[in-house]
Formats: sequence, structure tokens, C-alpha cells
Amino acid sequence: MTDISRRESVLAFDDRMATVDFRISHTAHITVDSEVCRSCTTRACLVACPAKLFVTTNDGGILFNYEQCFECGTCYAVCNNEGAITWNYPEGGHGVVFRHG
Amino acid sequence: MPDFEVVVVGAGPAGSIAALSLARLGHSVCLLERGPFPGSKNVYGGVIYGRILDELIPHWWEHAPVQRWITRRGTMLLTDHQSLCIDYRSTAWAQAPYNGATAYRPDFDKWLADEAVKAGATLVSSTTATGLVRTNRGLVGGVKTDREGDLMANVVIACDGVNSFLAKEAGLYPNFSKDHLTLGVKEVLALPRQEIEARFGIRSGTNEGADLEIVGGTQGIAGGGFVYTNLDTISIGAVLSLGGLSASKVRPEEVIAGLKAHPSLAPLVDGAELKEYSAHLIPEGGFDAMPEVVGDGLLVAGDAAGLCLAAGLWLEGVNYAIGSGKCAADAVHEAIAKGNFSKAGLVSYKDRLEATFVLRNHRKTRKAAHLLLSDRLQNRYPQIACDLLEQLYTVEDPLPKRGALTIGRALWKGSGLRIRHALRDGRDALKIYG
Amino acid sequence: MKIAACIKWVALRPDIDPLSGSVETDDRFSGVSAADQAAVEWALRMGEAWGASVTVATVGASIAESALRDALACGATTAIRIDIEHPLPSAAVGRELAAALADADLIVCGDWSLDRGSGSVPPFLAHARGAEQACGLVALSLDATGVVRAERRLDGGRRERLIVRAPAVLAVEGSTARLRRAPLGGVLSSARSSIDVRTPSTPNPAEPVRLVHARPFRPRTKIVDGPHGSVRDRSNALLGMGSTRTPPQRLVLDPEVAAEHILAALHAWGEIDDPASAEGQ
Ligand SMILES: Cc1cc2nc3c(=O)[nH]c(=O)nc-3n(C[C@H](O)[C@H](O)[C@H](O)COP(=O)(O)OP(=O)(O)OC[C@H]3O[C@@H](n4cnc5c(N)ncnc54)[C@H](O)[C@@H]3O)c2cc1C
Ligand code: SF4
Ligand code: SF4
Repeated sequence: MTDISRRESVLAFDDRMATVDFRISHTAHITVDSEVCRSCTTRACLVACPAKLFVTTNDGGILFNYEQCFECGTCYAVCNNEGAITWNYPEGGHGVVFRHG
Repeated sequence: MPDFEVVVVGAGPAGSIAALSLARLGHSVCLLERGPFPGSKNVYGGVIYGRILDELIPHWWEHAPVQRWITRRGTMLLTDHQSLCIDYRSTAWAQAPYNGATAYRPDFDKWLADEAVKAGATLVSSTTATGLVRTNRGLVGGVKTDREGDLMANVVIACDGVNSFLAKEAGLYPNFSKDHLTLGVKEVLALPRQEIEARFGIRSGTNEGADLEIVGGTQGIAGGGFVYTNLDTISIGAVLSLGGLSASKVRPEEVIAGLKAHPSLAPLVDGAELKEYSAHLIPEGGFDAMPEVVGDGLLVAGDAAGLCLAAGLWLEGVNYAIGSGKCAADAVHEAIAKGNFSKAGLVSYKDRLEATFVLRNHRKTRKAAHLLLSDRLQNRYPQIACDLLEQLYTVEDPLPKRGALTIGRALWKGSGLRIRHALRDGRDALKIYG
Repeated sequence: MKIAACIKWVALRPDIDPLSGSVETDDRFSGVSAADQAAVEWALRMGEAWGASVTVATVGASIAESALRDALACGATTAIRIDIEHPLPSAAVGRELAAALADADLIVCGDWSLDRGSGSVPPFLAHARGAEQACGLVALSLDATGVVRAERRLDGGRRERLIVRAPAVLAVEGSTARLRRAPLGGVLSSARSSIDVRTPSTPNPAEPVRLVHARPFRPRTKIVDGPHGSVRDRSNALLGMGSTRTPPQRLVLDPEVAAEHILAALHAWGEIDDPASAEGQ
């Protein structure tokens, strides 16, 4: 990261996500099997998910939150571990709603 | 008895135009969209090239929800602290029939879908197609949805975008891979109208606009960037190869932050307030990464068919989506007349694509993704070009001036690049852009 | 038996201009509140349980028909829109709905709408219909035909159990039910269903209270004393510098004696009354 981008991160990530409208479904459209992730060496999802929805847990697993997801598909495309991510679109009418896409 | 003659999945530009064309040809067609309204799930950079709409929606420019008409196009090379920009302006583009226009997709896609509804298509939104239904003869005969009840049709056109689960389910996308994908991340930043016009050198009080495509500046991740002007916002974003991104330590929003902080871009976006942050994948693999586009009872169009042209000078997908949607509709019309919905009956779709700009351009630019995402094009050539200009423009009296050739030769030697590679890149570039 | 549900089309994500305070709404980001959706769901459940017809009604502009169609797609029998472009006072809305739903035995409403809703339409509606009302319901269960057992929250965390018999107006909170997902067939047929559009019974209902003029909110001036003493004294006081204090002591005592010590110390610090006098009482 350059100095400049570090300065920029003053805009807290939560504030960044607060600019996006989500109609949250009551069921998760993406699930992550933390057990499978334990053996993952790339951890590509951590850096690649534009919504920063993957975080590591103390015990080396992955904690995933489905609510503020762009439904972009990056996570399953970069994940090499078969079975780690189960990916579906959310129920029709739910999920992200862009205003300036 | 099917519910409709045709089901089109996805109300993006590809789907809406397919539905519009079929409805005009007198067919019953259902346009299925998973978002609460068409466009709600869609993100792009921001410029639509509307020439392909001229015939489909005459005088579309009087009705489409446009932000600004592009009259200034720049292609910019960035290094850490330098930039080189080819800056073209034309007032001819400020008049009908125009060239490119910025627009928000939730506005544009909704408008296009409404046109399809006006033509007689049935739009069903808030409904996700979850799979294909096969008839007992093995043809695709409809889609399953996330509502109770399937939607049956003679033909399904999958316009479901870059992740096309329908094309994958049908086995048409065997080589879908992250290596053919890039992630687009974007920020929409608010500034007063006059301020945007002043910063981008746009004639004030007009709805003219600027478009900057950027090579480099993506912090070591192969990709690029863009800046577009809307009426009272700026769209700035980065396009990042998934391979490069997942191997890197830099997060997508940090790449945008880096672009915004670059000395030649910072003055454009300084002090602007974030209105929306967004992300979407782009199928950048080009011609060689395309799936099969015809199946039994199934056609694939737009991003779902990998028909997006991302080649440095160009970042175009909406026009290819529209073009392929139209070809799909015509092919289905022919199949309905013949009563043959198998692969053989639908195969004219492929020929129609080949006959138009859609596949011609993709064939011509098939090497683009590979060339553009190479280290040489991403980093080395921009560095040499910038250094060359820097030394040419730097006055070093009392030292005598050195000519461009002398400087160039020295820079080339220092770079360690091989002539053989440069020749090959030159040949490829000539094929793509020549 | 006839059941009805009342819903209101509202902006779900209004954009407020920070300078002018003007509110911008967008049809794509509008719909009905969770409470109104729950009202439709309860009406449908009653219809199913008691074999009753279900009418959904709204007072609003033509855009509101998309919400009515959603309810039809979910299984409502008929839909009525009372065609009024501009917002009306609650009493007038209640009267209009009462006139349109004159033959409904039970009417379910959302507890309040999202846009400045005061929750007063259901009581006005009940009044205009001359029916009983049960508002603020947080739980419902269906009993014999036309009978609902309900629970509502009262002030101070108390709850009240009610048995409501038709004719009545019920107002439910959004948490009581989630609107079902319409089947595909319902969605397709609702797009073609006709909606009964009615002109308002009183074209220009007079507003009982009319706002003539309002000044922007300006808090009153409050006079606050300036600080006393020099900067140094004040910072010393804040930091506790220069003040005398007894150094901490470490004592090893029997529990009983220790307790006395603690009480004496608390008394000395002014935390409690004299322990000796307290004992005497
Ligand atoms: C960052 C970025 C910048 C870009 N810049 C430009 C640009 O400046 N100019 C340009 O011309 N192009 C640009 N593009 C490319 C362009 O956005 C796409 O090529 C274009 O949107 C493709 O249109 P489409 O109709 O094929 O797919 P989409 O626009 O993706 O539409 C697909 C639709 O299908 C729906 N859908 C998906 N799955 C289902 C399902 N299972 N059931 C129901 N509905 C479903 C989606 O909700 C969506 O509405 C850019 C793309 C990105 C990501
Ligand atoms: S989701 Fe995939 S990439 Fe991420 S940690 Fe798990 S296995 Fe690794
Ligand atoms: S789909 Fe995109 S936004 Fe959602 S979790 Fe995956 S990478 Fe993140």
C-alpha cells in the first residue's frame, strides 16, 4: 500500500459500505465452510472480496457475513478449495440495489 | 403448453433488446430479472455507445436517461509519479447522433426494459432463474425460478451476465476460469456541476462530458482504471485481473484510493463526496475464452457469452450485449418459423454474430487481453514512454540537447527489454488496433 | 366472511437535501412497510383459515398499484385503489378506506406507515366504520371464524391479551409475520388483473388543522458561565495536583474489624451516613 492509500483509508470501510443499499434477505445466499478454509494457503478471498466480507478467526478459520454482498462472484472465482464456498444469488428482489451502477 | 414462446433471463441490455425485438416480431416473451427492477444489480464504468440503438429505437438520444455526451476522450499512461495522456476532443460528438454517453445503469437498463414492455414483452422482476428445465426430448424448455412454479418456453435466451449459471449448467462454459475475469470496482463521487465542468475542461453549462481510460496505476496488479463524468458526479474505478488481485496484498478499494491520490488525478476528484461504492466482474478473456453460445433450446448472449471488449482504448460491453441480443432474437424468430428449437434450428445465431461487429471485433481483438495484461504493457512501456518525454521536456542547459532517438536508445538498453518481444507486441497491437 | 388489508405506498429510502431540506423520492426505492406487508400476510392467513375473500386497499397514486399487484400475486382476491395524488390527513384516509371497505368484517392494517406515520389511520378507520379496534399488536393467532387472539404491548413493558371479534380493525407490527413469496403463476396473473380504481368519496376533504407558517427549528440561546480561575489553577484542579490526599494504607485485619474500617472510611469520604447512628435506628 502506498502512503497515499493509507491516508485514504481514513474513510472507514463501514462508511464506504453505508453508501450502498441492501435489501437484506433472511437467508444467506453464500455460505463458507470454515473447516475447508483451515487448510487454505492462498486466503485469496480476504484481499479480493470488494465488500471485505471474509475475516479470519483466531482459530484459523474464516468468518463470513452475507448481508452486504455485491453478488459479484469474485470470491468463488478466486477460491481454489473445492467446497469452501457455496454460492447462489439471493432470493429475487433482495440483496444489493445500486443507484449509480 | 409453454407459458411463453421465449423466456429471456436477465434484463440487462442484452436481455431487454432480445425481448424487445422478439415482442416486435409478434412473439410472446417473458423477461425475467432477479433484481427488484432492471439495472438494480448492474455496474459498469460508465459510457454507452449507442450507434447500435439507432435502428432499434430511432432517436433514442431524445429518450434515454443520459448524464453527459462524451466530447473528450483521453487514454492515459500512469507511473508512480508521471502520466502521459493522449487527449482527444471533438465538438462533433456534442450533436445528434452523438458517439458515447454516460448514464447510470439502474436508469438506462430500466429505460431499455420499459421499452421492451412497451413493445409487448412481459417483465417479471424480483425473480431469480435457478436452473434449466429440460423437456423429455432433452431440449431446454424453460427455467426453474425461486418462486413456486417453473416458467416454460420453447426457447430460453440466457442474458444472465458474466456469472451465467445457466450457460454453465447447460455445459456450454467448460473453461470458465478466474484467468478470464477482471474485477471492476468503482466509486461515484459527488461534485457540483460547474466544478466538474471546470476541472475537466468541459464547456460550462453544457451536458458534454469527458472519458479517461487509464493504463497502469493499479499498484502492481494487472489492470487499468477509468474516470467518467456524469452530470453532478464523477465515476472513478479500477479494473483488476483476478489472478493479480488474489496474489496481491492490496485490496480493491485501496487501488481506487491510489488512483485518486495520483498527482495527475487528485486535482480532478479532490474534496468530492462518496455517493456509492460498487463492484462487478468483467469477462475479459475475449474471443478465445468465449463459451458455446448455442445449445438445444438455449442461446447465450451478452456478458454471459463473454462478449465484452476490454482492450485498453476500449471498454465496451453494453453495445455488444445489445448487438448479440438482437442476433439472438432474430435467430429465435427463424427457429420459431421452422418449428425447430434444437441446436441445429438455432445455429443461425452464430452466423449472425459472425456477420456483425459483435464477433468480427472480438475476432480481431482476440489477442488484446493477453497483450494488455502483460507486464510489458502494464509497466515497462508506460515507464519508457514517460521517461522519454520527461527527458525531452527537461531543459538541461548548458548541456546540449539530446535527441529523442538517443534518449530512447538509452532507456531501451536500461530497461533490459528484448527487441524480439517488442516486435511481437507491435505486431499484435497492429492486429488489434491497426 | 370478508377480510381486508390496507397498505400505503411510501418512499423506503428518501434522499434529503442537506441544504434545502427538500425530500426526493424515487419509485424504484419505494414500496410498502414491513408492517403493511405483515397486514397483508395476516389477511391472507385469515382468508385461508376461514374461507374468506381478501381485499387489499390503498389510498394513493397509480404507482401504488404495483404494491396492490404484489398482494394479488400472493393470493388476495380483489384490489381497490382510491385515486388520490396528494397526501391526506389521517382522518380523511380513514373515512375513504371505511367507505371503500364498507362490507369487510375484519380489516388489518400496518401499525404505522414509514413516512411520518403516527399510527392514527387504523383508529380513524375503526371510528368511521363504527367497528372495534385493536392496535399495536405484536402477536396474533386465529381462532374460530372471525375471532382473533392477539397480544399488544402497553407502556412500561406490560402486555395485554385480547380476543377480537369481527367487525373490527386490527393494526399489526411488522414483526408479527413475513409476507409470503408469491408463486410464479400469481405474479403472471396479477400483471393482468384489473384493479378497482375509485374516486374519493369526498373530493377535497377539508383539513381540520392547517399549517399556515412554520419557522425552521432554532434552539434557544443558553447562557453558559465562563470558567473561573487561571488556566493553571484549572488544569491543576483537573489533574488533582497540589491537593492533599491520604496515601493508601495496607491493613491486615479480621473480617469484622475490616468491615468496620471500610464503613468508617466510606463515612469519612461522605459516601454513607454515620454507621454508628444507622445502627442505633
Ligand atoms: C467496472 C465495469 C466497467 C465497464 N465499463 C463499460 C463501459 O464504459 N461501457 C460499456 O459499454 N460497457 C462497460 N462494461 C461492460 C458492460 O457493463 C457489460 O458488458 C454489459 O452490462 C453486459 O450486458 P448484459 O446484458 O450481457 O449483462 P448484465 O448487464 O450483467 O445483465 C445481466 C442481467 O441478468 C440478471 N440476472 C443474472 N442472473 C439472473 C438469474 N439467474 N435470474 C434472473 N436474472 C438474472 C442480472 O440481474 C442483470 O440484470 C463495464 C463493466 C464493468 C464491470
Ligand atoms: S474461502 Fe476459499 S480462498 Fe477464502 S480462505 Fe476459504 S478456501 Fe481460502
Ligand atoms: S460475491 Fe463479491 S461481494 Fe459477495 S462475498 Fe463474494 S466477493 Fe464479496
